[in-house]
Amino acid sequence: MSNILVARNINKKVPLGKDNELHILKNVNLEIEEGEFISVMGPSGSGKSTLLYNISSMDRITSGSVEFKGSEISKRNEEELAKMRLKNMGFIFQDINLLKNLSVIDNMMFPALVSKDADKNAVNQKARKLLEMTGIEKLADNNITQGSGGQLQRVGICRALINDPDIIFGDEPTGALDSKATEEIMSILADVNQNGTTVMLVTHDAKVAAKTERILLMKDGNLVAEKKLGKYTAKHDDIKEREESLMKWLVEKGF
Amino acid sequence: MFLKMIKNDFSRKKIITLTVFVFITMAVLLGASATNIVANLVQSMSELQKHAVPADITQMHAGEYNQGEIDQFTEKHREHIEMQETMFLLTLDGRNIHFGNNQTMAGTVQDISFVVQNKKFDFILDLNNEKLDVKEGFVAVPIYFMEQYDLNVGDTIRVKSGEYEKLFVISDYARDFEMNSSLTSSKRFVINQKDYNEMLATEAGELEYLIEFKLHENGDAQAVQTAYIEAGLPANGPTVGGKIFLLFNAMSDAAVGMVIILISILLIIIASLCIRLTFLATMEEDLREIGVMKAIGLSRKDIKNVYLNKYRIMSVAAGIIGYLFSFVLVNLFNGNMRLYLSSDLSGNLKYLLSLLAPLFVYFMIVMYTRKILKRIDKISAVEALRSDILKHEKSRKYSFPLLKNKFLPVHIYMGFRDVGKRSKLYMLLFLIYVVCTFIIILPLNMYNTMNSPEFSTYMGIGKSDMRIDLRRTDTITEDFKKLQEELINDSEIEKYAAYITSSYKVKNAEGSWDYMNIETGDFSVFPLHYLEGRAPVGEGEIALSYANASKDGLNKKVGKEVIVEVGGTEKSLTVSGIYQDITNGGKTAKAHPSLGINEEAILWYIVSLDVAGGADIREKMGYYQNTYDSAQVNDIEEYTKQTLGNIIAVIIAVLITALFLKMLLSKDMSQIAIIKSLGLTSQNVKHQYMAGTLLVLVFGIIFGVLASNYLGEFLVSMAMSTMGAAKIELVSIAWQTWLLCPIALMLVVGYTVSVCCKVTETDDLSVVLRS
Ligand SMILES: Nc1ncnc2c1ncn2[C@@H]1O[C@H](COP(=O)(O)OP(=O)(O)O)[C@@H](O)[C@H]1O
Ligand SMILES: [Mg+2]
Repeated sequence: MSNILVARNINKKVPLGKDNELHILKNVNLEIEEGEFISVMGPSGSGKSTLLYNISSMDRITSGSVEFKGSEISKRNEEELAKMRLKNMGFIFQDINLLKNLSVIDNMMFPALVSKDADKNAVNQKARKLLEMTGIEKLADNNITQGSGGQLQRVGICRALINDPDIIFGDEPTGALDSKATEEIMSILADVNQNGTTVMLVTHDAKVAAKTERILLMKDGNLVAEKKLGKYTAKHDDIKEREESLMKWLVEKGF
Repeated sequence: MFLKMIKNDFSRKKIITLTVFVFITMAVLLGASATNIVANLVQSMSELQKHAVPADITQMHAGEYNQGEIDQFTEKHREHIEMQETMFLLTLDGRNIHFGNNQTMAGTVQDISFVVQNKKFDFILDLNNEKLDVKEGFVAVPIYFMEQYDLNVGDTIRVKSGEYEKLFVISDYARDFEMNSSLTSSKRFVINQKDYNEMLATEAGELEYLIEFKLHENGDAQAVQTAYIEAGLPANGPTVGGKIFLLFNAMSDAAVGMVIILISILLIIIASLCIRLTFLATMEEDLREIGVMKAIGLSRKDIKNVYLNKYRIMSVAAGIIGYLFSFVLVNLFNGNMRLYLSSDLSGNLKYLLSLLAPLFVYFMIVMYTRKILKRIDKISAVEALRSDILKHEKSRKYSFPLLKNKFLPVHIYMGFRDVGKRSKLYMLLFLIYVVCTFIIILPLNMYNTMNSPEFSTYMGIGKSDMRIDLRRTDTITEDFKKLQEELINDSEIEKYAAYITSSYKVKNAEGSWDYMNIETGDFSVFPLHYLEGRAPVGEGEIALSYANASKDGLNKKVGKEVIVEVGGTEKSLTVSGIYQDITNGGKTAKAHPSLGINEEAILWYIVSLDVAGGADIREKMGYYQNTYDSAQVNDIEEYTKQTLGNIIAVIIAVLITALFLKMLLSKDMSQIAIIKSLGLTSQNVKHQYMAGTLLVLVFGIIFGVLASNYLGEFLVSMAMSTMGAAKIELVSIAWQTWLLCPIALMLVVGYTVSVCCKVTETDDLSVVLRS
């Protein structure tokens, strides 16, 4: 399997006051394989989110290089990056970040309707199918204020999936959800991954991370360790076992 | 603590705060200037009145007169009448008064008379409001004429009438409470008694009487007037009450004041809209702020006070600045008043009266802010019951679904639908665009109207390519003959018509004689639009201007007879038509050449002509202008197109657009970041906001144009009707109103939007999106 994303020696510094700066990412190296389900854990403030946004072109790295599908992207201009986000990437956030004035289904279809030659009927059908898959078809024409956190996060996932991305980035997508909703979201993401989409999550929830294939540990701007658990399938794997082994590893690494 | 919070709020919303401040200050400045003018007006009028002691009743009379009868009447009504005095007027025609370089006052619409200063009341004053005391050989000339003919103290005028001829030196301006105004149609020249006697003896002019009464404080003017008529005393002329002089005197300055007050109100409205905009646009942010304030233990009242105090401070500062600067600004408007009413405008009423403006603005702004705060109050109270809001939202239908859009790129559609979704916010922008368009289009239409060939119709001139005016000089008659010969032989002239205007005596509605300027010639060559009837093309026909035909003039309808004196004989003419004319005070007439010409009273010659196809109008104009000294050749004059209104409107449009977008963008910051994270470019976002703004602008322009075309026309018609036009139809040139102005506004607004959107292009998108 080839790598979908390779980050080499990336640094991120942000100005802090007049002649001070904060060094958040320190020479981070990371490779993500195509089809992988990966998660990043670490104490809060260690730079997990920053890593996610910097390798996904949302933010600009200070130095280093990021290759996406075999080509360097960190030097691309805004327009090219936007196009890449539109076609190849999907994002889900803790805050979900839906557009206020659009209905549920319009929020989902929006990224698909951006390209000029979009077939509106096809987009609509695809959106309905996604709604069905995530079990929120009843919400389709609702306002986005009329839904629980779990339901809305499913809308967020549907939106991320609408353009068939190669990779989905999630910054603590379950951070604000209860355990039941978290489980539902994780099972949807597992399905998505099963269908071939690479998924990278940032989380501080070991239960979430236990369902991912590979776990990276971040500390103070560095990736300090990683743990491979392999693909999780509810049928064959015992989740308790995975959680315990992960917890043990985390304690071992001082988290 | 409070102060720190207010300061914090100021710095958070620098631009909006500054703009609101500028508008409030301007409103105060103009409001204070207007009240300042009114105060000066009131004070200088009362000062002038005190010195001039105007009559309460003035009976004009021409013909038999017996002072004894009047004295008897006065004694009989002593309980009302304090004083009586009769002023003897020697009336002369303007052409009898020569000045400067061969010029005369011929053609003036004013009746000119020479008088001696009264003894008891109705004094004519100098510029220091002192009673005029004119020495022999000198004359005091009414301010109106000093201005009109650009005369100075020390200049001379020569009075030449029949046998009488005398040179007078101008010693003073004559400030005449009763007849100052251009609205009063008589003007009094003051001379010495000896000079007057001499003039009277040689019958230089016609004698008229002003029989004047000054009443006691509680005297009943109506009773005296009725008694006067019943007594059958001389009354061969109109009666004038004292109040009317007051009105006439105040009119022009009061009009200036009114216009300024109107502009000031417009500014208060704009300032209020801005304040509302601030609240609407920053509401969410403010709510968060309010939450913080609550958390640190401030009561709701305290919180409200933070906001209220901000606008209080602003209004007070604006009030002080506006108030102080109004005393500078007002000098621009005071010239007229200084001359006509009082040279000394140091009265102190203005300091008090102009305080009204800042106080009014302060209370308006604070009241308005209170009203808006009440709304915020409601929202924050309900906020706890969030579910209520949600329920409320559920009942609302989802409008503008994305799939409805068939043709537009989705981000453009998002821009449009945003206008619908947040119509309240955009409504303010819309209103401001309407005002801006109005301010641009109305002057443009007026300019176009004045430059349009149709406008000549309002000036009582038929449509023609070119017009040559021969003004009064020694060679005028020869010039006119030569010009006509030349025109006949000029093959490049398609057609021409010559008109002669001279002064005639015409019998007025009361049966006495008035002077009237009548133009004779062939009026079928260059037809004019007649309100009623048609051109005077038959023998013995005359057409009257609207003002002349109206009740205040001769009071004649089409088909009625008018008696005109020509060369000593009376001729009866039939009114064939009525036309509009705003030149020469609006009172003109046109007659068939069969009327004949008053040779010694010729005022000017006009030749209208059309140039044959292919000939160069400009070249022709140049030729005739150079060949004839006395000629003034005109085509449609080219004014500078730039009017102040345009600039102000564009500045307001730019300022408010920038303001609006800045707030909208900061309010929408997170939404923009989401859109960008989904894969839209900054360019797309810019276009989205541009689409919404321009959509609002388009509607604003449409309504603004309609408003200026209809409402503007109504306003202009009202203003022009005082000048003698019946109805003005504004000319709006389609490509200018519907193409040039919209494109110009759109470019300016579009550019402003794109500049404003630049600010949002931060490098790191995630900052806004993280929790
Ligand atoms: N744009 C920024 N400006 C200043 N500090 C930042 C910025 N982005 C992140 N930081 C700081 O960098 C550190 C790492 O942030 P983040 O990546 O959000 O951590 P995590 O997601 O692991 O909790 C934090 O201390 C945060 O305050
Ligand atoms: Mg984080």
